[in-house]
Amino acid sequence: MSREKDAANYALVFFAVLSVLLLLFPASKLAHTARITVSYSLYPSLHYGAKYDYFVRNVPANFVDLLETDQDNRALKEKVRNLELRLQEAAALVAENERLAGAMRVSRALPWAGSWARVVNKTPSDWYGSFFIDKGSADGISVNDTVLGMEGGRAALAGRVFEVYPKFSKVLLLTNGAASAVCSIAPGGMEALVEGKGTWLLRMSYVPEESALAEGAELVTAQGGLLFPAGVPVGKVTKVYPRESFMNFITADVSPHVDVNTLKEVYIVKRRLPREFLAPWEAAQ
Amino acid sequence: MSILVEVFLYLATGAAYWWWTQNFTVYGLAPNLIFAAALSAAILAGPVKAIAWGFFLGLYADMLGVSAFGAYALTYSLMAYCVYVVKRHFDMDSFFSQLVAAVSLSWICMLFYMGLSLVFARFNPTGLKIFLAEPFLNALAVPVVFQLFYQAKRRTGAL
Repeated sequence: MSREKDAANYALVFFAVLSVLLLLFPASKLAHTARITVSYSLYPSLHYGAKYDYFVRNVPANFVDLLETDQDNRALKEKVRNLELRLQEAAALVAENERLAGAMRVSRALPWAGSWARVVNKTPSDWYGSFFIDKGSADGISVNDTVLGMEGGRAALAGRVFEVYPKFSKVLLLTNGAASAVCSIAPGGMEALVEGKGTWLLRMSYVPEESALAEGAELVTAQGGLLFPAGVPVGKVTKVYPRESFMNFITADVSPHVDVNTLKEVYIVKRRLPREFLAPWEAAQ
Repeated sequence: MSILVEVFLYLATGAAYWWWTQNFTVYGLAPNLIFAAALSAAILAGPVKAIAWGFFLGLYADMLGVSAFGAYALTYSLMAYCVYVVKRHFDMDSFFSQLVAAVSLSWICMLFYMGLSLVFARFNPTGLKIFLAEPFLNALAVPVVFQLFYQAKRRTGAL
């Protein structure tokens, strides 16, 4: 046991002295360069710190130049990556700017006062049913306000405000299975009910069999509908179905002008609706 | 034969440490496998060999670092001696004692290394995040490395 203890003591003294010598005396130029080569090859990021000068002491200048060139190269690559990202962001902003400029031009020509809102949340499970916008009661949004989307340089009906919170609101899309609007078929002005189906198409019902409804007919909101202002473009008839034997009217598929998939901003039309159409707390106010 | 196994273990430890720190760091943290290997070798080997293992593993850590050269070598050599003294009184083979030893010695080694760096290189290379978190990661790594070294010792007589 004593021999082992002596051996341990000798070993400790030997290796401790060796370590202290390594600490005290600077390594030769060759040894130090070898150390940097190994260290830099395995952990280059360690050498990016402020203590670089301390580390490269006693190292040939051309080797230091090589290291610095490598560091510059890495820094430049990082810079290029960041610039590419910013370029992509700038391209997205330009596209948004163009889209908003077009929408603003359209909104100035609209006969209704309102405000813009951004679509902030679409739920995959209710894609054609509803979405949230970033404006709420704090911005003057009320239940049943008409929501317009801008498509192809014109405003068209997207839906109506369904729920209002202080900072955001929920919009019920016209394509929702529970949504409907009384529409007028151009050019005759015959009225029919357009309902959502939960898909990208709308269904038009209660069209008399004898009416001359043709594919391509344009639909706008009718004067008689209370929820939406009259004359808002809704969509276009894409297919007219023949009358079923048990029904006394015909139906048709309508393609809405507003594409939910590309909708990013909406225009909320402020309307003065009758008291019965307001939410209880709004009516109380 | 056993010396070849020891050389292999030494190189494998260095390679594993490098690979882990390059690919598996979480929030910049990884267990210090060099420390775990030095502690495991100190528990398993005789005093002279343990101190030699500590010295050479420390030398490898010094090669990788940017701080004072020889600081890790001195730290791990002293750690191996401390373990030699402690294991005469405690059973260091048990899981719990390895956890306690890993946590406490990690902090002691870090403080000692920081002191040496401040004296010889005039800067502190250890960040607070590493100082607080690494001992616990080391505590997880030490029993695993210990088992690997133990199996190597049992089968080949190394260490």
